[in-house]
Amino acid sequence: MNVIEINQLTKYYGKHRGIENVSFSVEEGEIFGFIGPNGAGKSTTIRALLSLIHPTSGSATIFGKDCIKYGSEIRRDIGYLPSEVFYYEHMKVKEVLNYSASFYDNVDTSRIASLAEVMNLDLNKRIDDLSYGNKKKVGIIQGLLHEPRLIILDEPTGGLDPLMQQTFFELIRAENKKGATVLFSSHILSEVQKLCGRVAIIKDGTIVRVENIRDMQKHNYKKFTLDYKGVMDVQHFNLEGVTNLTVNENSLHFLFKGDINRMVERLQGQYLLNLLVEEPSLEEIFMHYYQKEEKEAQP
Amino acid sequence: MNILIQELRMGRKTLIIWCISLIGVLSLFMLLYPSIASQLEDFQRVFESFPIEFQQAFGVADLELASILSFYQFALMYVLLAGAIQAMNMGVSILSAEVREKTGDFLFVKPVSRNRVVAMKILAVLVQILITNAVVFTASLLMVTLLSDTAYNLKLFTLFTLSLLFIQIFFASLGLFVSVFLRRIRTVLPISMGVVFIFYIIHLLNETLNDDKLGLVSPFDYFNLTEISMNMNYDSLYLLLWFVLVGLFTFLTFKLFARKDLPSI
Repeated sequence: MNVIEINQLTKYYGKHRGIENVSFSVEEGEIFGFIGPNGAGKSTTIRALLSLIHPTSGSATIFGKDCIKYGSEIRRDIGYLPSEVFYYEHMKVKEVLNYSASFYDNVDTSRIASLAEVMNLDLNKRIDDLSYGNKKKVGIIQGLLHEPRLIILDEPTGGLDPLMQQTFFELIRAENKKGATVLFSSHILSEVQKLCGRVAIIKDGTIVRVENIRDMQKHNYKKFTLDYKGVMDVQHFNLEGVTNLTVNENSLHFLFKGDINRMVERLQGQYLLNLLVEEPSLEEIFMHYYQKEEKEAQP
Repeated sequence: MNILIQELRMGRKTLIIWCISLIGVLSLFMLLYPSIASQLEDFQRVFESFPIEFQQAFGVADLELASILSFYQFALMYVLLAGAIQAMNMGVSILSAEVREKTGDFLFVKPVSRNRVVAMKILAVLVQILITNAVVFTASLLMVTLLSDTAYNLKLFTLFTLSLLFIQIFFASLGLFVSVFLRRIRTVLPISMGVVFIFYIIHLLNETLNDDKLGLVSPFDYFNLTEISMNMNYDSLYLLLWFVLVGLFTFLTFKLFARKDLPSI
């Protein structure tokens, strides 16, 4: 069963593009990554799912229900953590969390104390006395408090130190094991890599592709680094399947996808100081998608 | 209910300050009464020597200063002005605060519909207006009773004082409408002060011009205290207009806010 189904979702702010024809679906029980650079449309998509904004055209369903029409009903089972958190400044942490809990039926409020303990958060402090990272912790607790069936995270790790990020990821994994579906938006690939099974890549408001994270890494891309002395004819290596060709002092870098023997042929007769053939990192694959022409992006 | 309680809790301090200020304005004028009561007839004569336009502009034409209610009417005008600003402030800020303080990402992802949030917030404004009026009514009743040696017309006093309620509800609904109509509101006070003063100036102008059509523009004219004291009742046409406008502003607030986008910060 698909928890989220997005169908040709488009949002324009006046003439300014938000997203265009975004379509993908998230299955029950998975941790789905949503990656793209800043301004690509990740937040716009998520805000449309939460009916904070109204789409220009297209539709989206959550738990099989239209997310604008049944917005308030659907939101009972959604936990949301925005990239930047703001709360009523003059309230205490405890008061904000209790207020948040009062919106849901059957909330186990003892979770406030236990989650605060895990996150190392002082419940008696006032919101305006909290640091950015601590405010974020309040956000995490209020997002997870009511044990939602769907957790939507919009660049959630900003402001958290690496140790706390680890704790946070563990919390998310635990909720996922209990059955929660997770939509995880980020522009940091390593964290998506750590957590997600599948991932949608968004660029300039359109989905470039949806892929399995393993497939993405296993793609036949090889990263070549050639160290040489003197002058090298760069064009000699510019054959089909080569991308991201860059020259850096006396070394040549590129990604290659295709028959490896053709590359070996080219390498013959070259005087090299060193040769490195590696699996590219997700970052590099992503940059590759990101820089590609539109037509090449859909093979 | 939780939203209502939350709103009332957040507005508590401001409400107390406003109530104290309104009583302050009222007592500032009313406490002058005993010391100048004996000289009021002289005052009256001084006012009468002014040109009639001048008298009208200051709301002292047809004024029987010697009677306590006439004096109260004079003082109440400033309470109405301040009360209008208070109500408009509440109206403009109660919805826009969620955008301005960026707390919308908290409230509007909760399992409540926009309409319910708007309804609860309007209710919170209404409760605060009622509290303000109860406080002002009690305080002014006490002052007028204590300061007056002779009996006064309680009905007229009630009509006078209740006009604060009507004017506050009008400006609160106008404020709500303005807040959903404008895209982004950075500061509330200049908007509400500006709007209220424009209406007040129109009202003052109309005191001299006495133009019926101009009277339709300013809510201060709907509850013209001098007219009320002459007719011993509110003007039913103006009352109807008040009702229609408040209804329209409230309806549009619901309609516009339900469609409003809350873009990311």
